[in-house]
Amino acid sequence: MFAYIVRRTISGLVLLVVMTLVTMMLFFSGPLHPERHACGKICSPAQIAVTKKAFGYDKPVLVQWGQFMQGIVKGRNFPEDKKLEKDHPELVVHCTAPCLGYSKYFTQNVTTLIKTSFPISLSLAIVAFILWITGGVLFGVIAALRKGTIIDRGIVGISLIFYAFPTFFIGLFLYKFVSIKWQLVPTPEYIPFSQNPWSWLTGLILPALTLALFFMAGYVRMTRAFVLESMSEDYIRTAKAKGLPARRILTKHTMRAAFTPLVTMAGLDLAGLLGGAIITETVFNFNGLGGLAVAAATNNDLPILVGLVIVLASFVILANIIVDVLYAVIDPRVRVG
Amino acid sequence: MASYRKPIAAIAAAAVVSVTLVACGSSSDGGKGKTTDAKGGTLYYLTKRPAEHLDPQRMYIGRDLADMNRLVYRQLVSFPVTTDKAAAVVPQADLATDTGTSSNDGKTWKFTIKDDVKWQDGKAITCEDFKYGASRTFATDVIIGGPNYILGFLDVPKGKDGLPLYDGPYKNDNAADFDKAITCDGNTITYNFSKPFPDFPLAIASLNSFGPYRKDQDQGDKSNYAVFSNGPYKLEGTWDVAKGGTFVRNPEWSDDNIRKALPDKIVFEQGLTNEIIADRLIADVGQDKTAITDRAIPPAYYTQITGAVADRATLTESPFVDYVLPNFNKMKNPKVREALKLSTNINGWITAGGGDKAYKPAQSIVNPALVGYKPNPNFSMLPAGDLAAAKQALKDSGEKLPYPIKFTYSGGTPTSDKQAAALKDGWDAAGFKVTLNPLTDTYYDIVQDPTADFDVTWGGWGADWPSIATVIPPLFDSRINLTAKSNGQDYGNYKSDTVNSMIDEAAQMGDVNDQAAKYAEIDDQLGKDVAYIPLEITLFYFLHGSDVANYISSPASNGYPELGGIGVKQ
Repeated sequence: MFAYIVRRTISGLVLLVVMTLVTMMLFFSGPLHPERHACGKICSPAQIAVTKKAFGYDKPVLVQWGQFMQGIVKGRNFPEDKKLEKDHPELVVHCTAPCLGYSKYFTQNVTTLIKTSFPISLSLAIVAFILWITGGVLFGVIAALRKGTIIDRGIVGISLIFYAFPTFFIGLFLYKFVSIKWQLVPTPEYIPFSQNPWSWLTGLILPALTLALFFMAGYVRMTRAFVLESMSEDYIRTAKAKGLPARRILTKHTMRAAFTPLVTMAGLDLAGLLGGAIITETVFNFNGLGGLAVAAATNNDLPILVGLVIVLASFVILANIIVDVLYAVIDPRVRVG
Repeated sequence: MASYRKPIAAIAAAAVVSVTLVACGSSSDGGKGKTTDAKGGTLYYLTKRPAEHLDPQRMYIGRDLADMNRLVYRQLVSFPVTTDKAAAVVPQADLATDTGTSSNDGKTWKFTIKDDVKWQDGKAITCEDFKYGASRTFATDVIIGGPNYILGFLDVPKGKDGLPLYDGPYKNDNAADFDKAITCDGNTITYNFSKPFPDFPLAIASLNSFGPYRKDQDQGDKSNYAVFSNGPYKLEGTWDVAKGGTFVRNPEWSDDNIRKALPDKIVFEQGLTNEIIADRLIADVGQDKTAITDRAIPPAYYTQITGAVADRATLTESPFVDYVLPNFNKMKNPKVREALKLSTNINGWITAGGGDKAYKPAQSIVNPALVGYKPNPNFSMLPAGDLAAAKQALKDSGEKLPYPIKFTYSGGTPTSDKQAAALKDGWDAAGFKVTLNPLTDTYYDIVQDPTADFDVTWGGWGADWPSIATVIPPLFDSRINLTAKSNGQDYGNYKSDTVNSMIDEAAQMGDVNDQAAKYAEIDDQLGKDVAYIPLEITLFYFLHGSDVANYISSPASNGYPELGGIGVKQ
C-alpha cells in the first residue's frame, strides 16, 4: 500500500509539472496580448514592448517556464533586476519558495492570493458537501426503499428540477427571494470561521445550498440506483433468508456495497469544488478560488492561471489517491497493489 | 441572465474619463430624491467592476477617476460639483491658487500651489510632490496602464522609438531633461511642453495623473492599491482588490469649496452582479437604503421601475459613443461604404439593446457635450437611414451582388447578438450578405490585427477630457496607430494624409475653441470618407436607495454618482 501511494504521488507530481508547461504554451499560442490591455488606452508599440518586458512575456515560453520552476524551488524576486534591487529595494517584491509567481493585476504574489482565497472555497465546499451528501444519500435511500411509490417519484422528480436548472438561476433565485426579499438570511458574505462561527455559517448557507441542490440531485438518483442494485444481490437475499433484521441488512450489507461508487464520485466532486465554484462564487460575490479564476481569465493573468492549475490539479490527483485507498477500506474485494 | 453587453476587455479600451455629460432632464437631486447638505451617515457604493488601479498615475477608468478626485486625490484644478452642464466642465482652482496661466502659445503653463494644503499625515503638499507625480508616468516599465499624455507633450528629448530618454524616478536616466521641463520655484510649478497644450487644465481636472505623489510613499508596483490622501477622506485599512474598501474622514483636510464631503463614511462593495445590485436597490431595505451604484438597471428589470422605485431612478448620458466602422483594408470602394452607412439599422440596434433607457442615437463619434461639438452632416439621415439610397449606392458601386461582408463584434451575450442581428437585417436588405462573427475576450486582440479578416467591426469610445483632441487623433491618426503588427485604436485601418495634415494643424493651435472648430472640420471629412458610422450614446439608468440625499450624477462625475455632493439622510 505504501509503495502504491508513493508511486501515485510521484506520477502526480510529474503530471503537475507537465501541466504548468502545457498551460503556459496554450496561453501564448492564442491571440491574446495581455501587454496591450495592461499598457493602457493609448500606447505606442514601443510602450507596449516595454510593458511586455515588464511582464516577462518577452522571453521564450521555455525560459519563462524554467524561471517559474526555479521560483517553486528557490523563490524569486519581481522584477528580476539586480540594479533595481540595489538602488530601490522597496520596489522589488520577494516571493519565497514555493513561489507560484507574481500577479501584476493584483500586485501580489500568487501564493498569497491563493492562500487568501482558499479558505473561502474550502468553507463553501465543506458546507455544500455536507448538505448534498446528507440530503443526497438520505433521499436516495428513501426513494429506493419506497420504489415505485409517490414518495419515490416525488423525490426523483424534485431532484431533477434542481438538476435541470442552471446553477446561476438557482443562486440568483435564492439570493433574490430568500435573502433580499424575504430577509430570511443575512446578505451572503464570507466571514472567517475564527471571527464568528455563526456568521460564517449563515453567510455561507445560500451559496452552499445552491451548490448542494445541484449536486444533491445526482446523488439522489445515484444512491437510489446503487441501493436498488445492491438489494437485488444474492447475498442480500441470503441475509434476508437467514432472518437478519431489515435495518441491519440495509446498514451493514446494502449501504456498504452502494457506497463504494458514491465515495469515488464524492471524492472527485469535492476535489473539483475545492478548486472553486466559479458560477456560484460569482453570483454571491465570494472571492474564493473560483472568483480568482474569473479575475485571472478576464485579465489574462498568466501567473494566477498557472497557480490555479497547479492547485486544482493537486486536489484532483490527491482525491484520486485517497479515493483509491478508501476503496480498499470500504470494499474488501478491492485490493490495492 | 442579462448582463452589461460589453466584456471587460471592451470596457477597458473604452474606459476613459469624459467630463462631457448631459443630465437628461436632470435636477439637482436627479428626480424626486431627498435634498440635504447635512453631514454624517454611511454611503454604500455597490458595483460590479473592481478598480484596476488606485495609484493616481495609473488610474484610467472614468468612474474611479471621478470618485477618487472627490474623495482622496485633489488636483491643481478640479471640476465643480454642479449639474449646470456648462459650469461643470469649467475647471476651478483646487490645490492651486487659480486655474493657471499659459504663455508661449499654450506651450508653457504655471500654477501656484496653496500654502495650507496637506497630506493625510499633516505634511504640506509641495511643488516637488507634483513634479515627482509627473515623473512617475515616465517609468513606463513600472507605472503601467495610466494616461500617458505627458510623455508626448512634455518638452523632453525622445529616442528613436519615440519614448522619452528620461525613464522615470526609479532608474532616473537623463533626469536633467525632466528637471528642465518641469521646474519648481517655491510653490510655483511650471510645465514646459513641446507643442501647444491649450486644454491642459481640462486634462488636469479630468485625469489624476498630473496630481502630486509623495516620494516617501512610493513603492512602485506595490503602491497600486495604496491610497495616500490629500482629500476629505482617507482609506481605512487596506483596499481589497476583489471586494473594495472603506473611506473615512481625513482630519487633515480643510474645506476646499469644491467637495461637500457629506457622508462620514463611504463603503465600496465590488464584485456584485448587475442583477443583484438592481434587486437590492429595488428592495431598498437595511443599508441598501443609503446605497448608490454605477451599474445600469438591466433591461429585464425595467418593468419593476415604477411608482416609488421610479422616483429613485435617474437617466443620464454617458461619456461613451458606440460606432461601427468599415475595414479600409478590405472595403475600399467608397460607394460600398456609403451603402453600408445608409443601411445601418441603428433603431434596431437600440431597440435590441434596451431601447431609450439604454441608448440615444448619435450624430457623430464626438459626444454632444464636448467643446465645439457639431452634429456631423454626413450622418444627418441617421438613425432612420435610407434603404432605397443604400440599394442604389451598392448597385452603383459596380461590385457583384450580394456583396459579402463579415461583421466582427464584441459579443458573447444574447443582447449583443440581437443587436448584431438587427444590423445584419438592415445591411442584408440593402444587398449585402452579412456573416456575423461574435468574439468575446479576444475581441480587441483580433480587430487590432491589421491582417484580420473582417469587413465591419464595432468600437466604443469616450473622451479623456472635454476636448475633441482626445477623440479624433487617437482614433483616426494613422501615424500613431498603424504599424505592421497593430492598428492601435484605428480598428478600421483608416489612413488619410488629408486628415493627418488637418490633425497637425489643430495640434498647433493655442486656443481651445480654434482647435474645436478645426476638429469639427476633420469630423466632417471622416464622415465623407465613412471612416465610421455613429450608433448611439450609451445612457446610464441608475437606481439609488431611498435614504440617499442630494443625489446627482453630474457632468463632472462622468455621469456616475457625484460623490462630491451626495449625502445620506439624517
